[in-house]
Amino acid sequence: MSGKGGKQSRMSDRKATGDEDEEHPLQAVLVADSFNRRFFPVTKDQPRALLPLGNIAMIDYTLEFLTSTGVQETFVFCCWMAPQIKEHLLKSKWCRPTSPNTVHIITSELYRSLGDVLRDVDAKSLVRSDFVLIYGDVVSNIDVSQALQEHRHRRKMEKNISVMTMVFKESSPGHRSRCEEDDIIVAMDSKTHRVLHYQKTQGLKKLQFPMNIFHSTSDEFEIRHDLLDCHISICSPQVAELFTDNFDYQTRDDFVRGILVNEEILGNQIHMHVTKDGYGVRVSNLLMYDSVSSDLVRRWVYPLTPEANFTDHKGHCCTFSRHNVYRGSGVSLGHGSQMEENVLIGCDTSIGANCHISNSVIGNNCTIGDNVILDHTYIWNNVHIASNVTINQSVVCDRVVVKDGVTLNKQCVLAFNVVIGPNISLPEGTVLSMHHPEEEEEDDDEFLSDDAEVGQSKDKTKQKVFNPKEVGEEGKGYVWKANSLDDTEDEELAHCLWGLVLNPDPESESEASEPEDPDDPVIPSPEMDDVKVFQMEVLGTLQRGLEENIGCDNLVLEINSLKYAYNITLKEVMQILTRVVLDYPFQQQGPQLTTAQYVALLLPLLKKWAPVFKNYVKRAQDHLDCLSAFEEHFLEAESHWAAMVKVLMNMYQLEILEEEMILRWFSQGATTDKSRQLRKNQGLQKFIQWLEEAEESSEEEA
Amino acid sequence: MELQAVLMAAGGGSRMTDLTYNTPKPMLPVGNKPVIWYPLNLLERVGFEEVIVITTKEVQKMMSTDSKIKEVRMKLDVVCIQEDGDMGTADALRHIQQKIKTDILVLSCDLITDVALHEVVDLFRAHNATMAMLMSKTHEFTETVPGQKGKKKTAEQRDFVGVDHSGKRLLFMANEADLEDGLSIRKSIMRKHPRMHIKTGLEDAHLYCLKKAVVDFLTENKSISSIRGELVPYLVRKQFSKTTNSSKIKDDTDDQSQKKTDNVANHELVISSRDEGLLQLAQERSCWNDHRGDMSEAYHGGKLRCYVHIMDQGLCFRVNTLAAYIEANRLAPKLFEEPAVHPSAVISDRCQMGSDSIIGEKCQIADKTSIKRATIGNYSSIKEKVKVANSIIMHHVTIEEGCNIQGSVICSNAVIGRGADLKYCLVGNGQRIDAESERTNEVIVGTNQLMEI
Repeated sequence: MSGKGGKQSRMSDRKATGDEDEEHPLQAVLVADSFNRRFFPVTKDQPRALLPLGNIAMIDYTLEFLTSTGVQETFVFCCWMAPQIKEHLLKSKWCRPTSPNTVHIITSELYRSLGDVLRDVDAKSLVRSDFVLIYGDVVSNIDVSQALQEHRHRRKMEKNISVMTMVFKESSPGHRSRCEEDDIIVAMDSKTHRVLHYQKTQGLKKLQFPMNIFHSTSDEFEIRHDLLDCHISICSPQVAELFTDNFDYQTRDDFVRGILVNEEILGNQIHMHVTKDGYGVRVSNLLMYDSVSSDLVRRWVYPLTPEANFTDHKGHCCTFSRHNVYRGSGVSLGHGSQMEENVLIGCDTSIGANCHISNSVIGNNCTIGDNVILDHTYIWNNVHIASNVTINQSVVCDRVVVKDGVTLNKQCVLAFNVVIGPNISLPEGTVLSMHHPEEEEEDDDEFLSDDAEVGQSKDKTKQKVFNPKEVGEEGKGYVWKANSLDDTEDEELAHCLWGLVLNPDPESESEASEPEDPDDPVIPSPEMDDVKVFQMEVLGTLQRGLEENIGCDNLVLEINSLKYAYNITLKEVMQILTRVVLDYPFQQQGPQLTTAQYVALLLPLLKKWAPVFKNYVKRAQDHLDCLSAFEEHFLEAESHWAAMVKVLMNMYQLEILEEEMILRWFSQGATTDKSRQLRKNQGLQKFIQWLEEAEESSEEEA
Repeated sequence: MELQAVLMAAGGGSRMTDLTYNTPKPMLPVGNKPVIWYPLNLLERVGFEEVIVITTKEVQKMMSTDSKIKEVRMKLDVVCIQEDGDMGTADALRHIQQKIKTDILVLSCDLITDVALHEVVDLFRAHNATMAMLMSKTHEFTETVPGQKGKKKTAEQRDFVGVDHSGKRLLFMANEADLEDGLSIRKSIMRKHPRMHIKTGLEDAHLYCLKKAVVDFLTENKSISSIRGELVPYLVRKQFSKTTNSSKIKDDTDDQSQKKTDNVANHELVISSRDEGLLQLAQERSCWNDHRGDMSEAYHGGKLRCYVHIMDQGLCFRVNTLAAYIEANRLAPKLFEEPAVHPSAVISDRCQMGSDSIIGEKCQIADKTSIKRATIGNYSSIKEKVKVANSIIMHHVTIEEGCNIQGSVICSNAVIGRGADLKYCLVGNGQRIDAESERTNEVIVGTNQLMEI
């Protein structure tokens, strides 16, 4: 990874040649706001872009990355705590007249999302050609010049088709620099590197890809889960316009989804660039902060190393010695103290005797007492730590005072100005802040609407008392619990500061809980036999007919075509049709219908579908088939024999069945005991009697 | 014996019924050799000494008299199955289960390829795979097909084949027809194989190496009837299902149906192999791993593994359509160095013959004929002033004087009347074409043959 030596010269080469064919200098849009609250309550006092990472504000890494890629003009958009960011930038080397990268700071309280920023870019028409879009918390040393070239080439070949090139870094699933929440799955066209599908995978067990993405001309696709989204994108000026056109795009994910879904309509495409080496990670939660910090100390982000002092701050230089130990100037180390490995100590920090420090970063002007054990700990500036303190994988912000005998277990956060101790052990995952959690809610309002009363909340704060059980006798601070925050409807807050890390091995668990694949039939099911399928289809047809009010002629047409499709004889059609219709009320309402309800439901249906029946029931044999199906149905539904007469009567009246045939069926059809029994049904006998009489009388008349 | 070869030669050729009406598919002549000769030759070249041939009575009879088949030195163990028994390939395997003693190599009789067979077998060996198969890029047929109006539509359903980053491990397989609701892949598979290539332009060559345990599994599981249609997709899916990967499933069998427990037993069969213990040990002791990014054991502990060898170059296709048949006749002779003209053929000196033509045994070719890019079968006779170009003429065909035959297929025993002009026609078995008739782009078959269709 340290083979980046030739980078600087390559950069200058590229710049020299780039200037010839490109009139416009390369521009970048840097969004110095995350538009979420993942770092709350830490970011209540300092914006995320200014949080120190290896004792340097995160935004400086981003700007250094942009400058080294050849960006000559950067627009920094700030919203939350904009004055602080502005002040920081004005003091930095980026605003010196010699800076190769001109930084413009644009602030507005009104930005609520990336979308707002880009709409503003469009409104102010800041960008003239392709630009790099990046967040203020990205740490990277990726050489994007190749991606840029590819992007420009694509735009030249096919004018304005490709609007964005996303930069990804190859890294296996579960890699430390991959943020679990940010895990993505990408489907791409192998040849053109076009992004076909882009999806976050968190919480998904099955990954679905719509078929239309595979309809392109290519015959080779790749589905990749080994990519780390660096949150660096090369955009064409159209991107800003598209954000303006689509006011519902809030984030880049919205944008990507929108472009991919509407690809066929708008004709815009997104491409990707995958880099194998280089480093590019967005610090999106504290776990990522931990990973990136340790990667930085382990020199994975070379040439951005702690001793390089690329921000050019006076007196911020430090020395680098083996085991990745860095010491700033004026560091004093007590007798017997050890800096084991991967330790970075800022300027003018003094450490007492017999301390063990490993895998940690300590800021400037800190004082640390004796017998202190620090592991995976990030201590910012001006922190006082007394003696006999143990801290494990935690973050300690500026001006915190940790008194004697305090133990911080894993994943504690002490926000600005907190005082803790003495002699207290904080449980895992404790978050302490000088801001009261309830204040947060009001702040939230204030944040959203300008006319909230600020004074009121301040009054409240004063009334609150620190709980010595939580912070120790002399402690100052309030406990924040992700789940104690009552606005659970706010999704951002439901996430905890550290991200989803508490689950040590999410993979194994998710796999263990994975049920046997439901669409993985152990034995391929035998094909349904055609008659069954036909019956289902007829039922479906009738159902649809009812819902959409389809005419009987069309129903007949459909049933006929089904008949041919499944090779069904006319006799079977008749029987199935009869059965389906008679069964219809049960199908729809369930088998618990009473006889009265059944009849009430069935009769209108019979009336409606009488023409369908008439179409099929023509010859004498048809009548008998229909009647035998009728009989079969009622043999199965013994409890509904009372309905039999009414149904039969109805069918007779609707001229579906002829009396002659009914009589013939009644006299001949009985073959089993049950059907004989059926014929003995009182109502039925009465009906038959009535029919016979009617016939006689009609004969007489004749 | 490491592998037993099984040749499936009972297929009727239902996609080219005009050709197979009288001659069953395995016996159709390609370059004057029956189709079945090509896979037999493939096996013989790599050193197989014995082949189990599953076929029908009819084919067996024809094979016993065919001169080319007699040249095959391997021992042919011919097993006949009922012709219209509607038996699938997996059924056929089940049928010969008694004969199977080791792992098997199954292939179809209509495969014409110059693949280096060891590539497939090596995958099978190297990864101790349950199945290894051969695929190739879809062959594009360029010749004009008789009786076909316009360009052939490419609306056939594509197969989606997913392989891992090395392009060898088979991870996913489905037909477009089954993917109406979109392609769905479990995340756990993606975690194990984070880079999956999905290829659509591939064709299955119907050549599979299978573990013996798979055959045993088939005998237990009677519902699977086709290798390609059911068994292969089943094996591919099973690679990632938990039942095969962990044995603890046994504990909770009480609530499962009897059927299911039977199945579990079957899977145990699938994964066990002769040297299981040694292999296990080798894997434990070895630092070799088939993937990157984590330290979990090789193959992620999965015991059922499917591999595929994808041919990038070379010839590989199946003779199962008319277009493929014509293509095969054009290309197959180039695979072998053999004299184009059979020594027993009688050819007039005044015949113009291109070097890309093949003349079969005891052919008679008269004066002033012109034969270009054509295959002429055994015992055929071509009279004076006949022009044959781009055509396939099977056995015992008589072509009378002055005919002009172009881009056509003429089946055995046909007689072409004097001065007939045939362009892009298919003449069925035993047909007689009237003298002086002109036919273009037609399929000429007997009426009873038509009825059958």
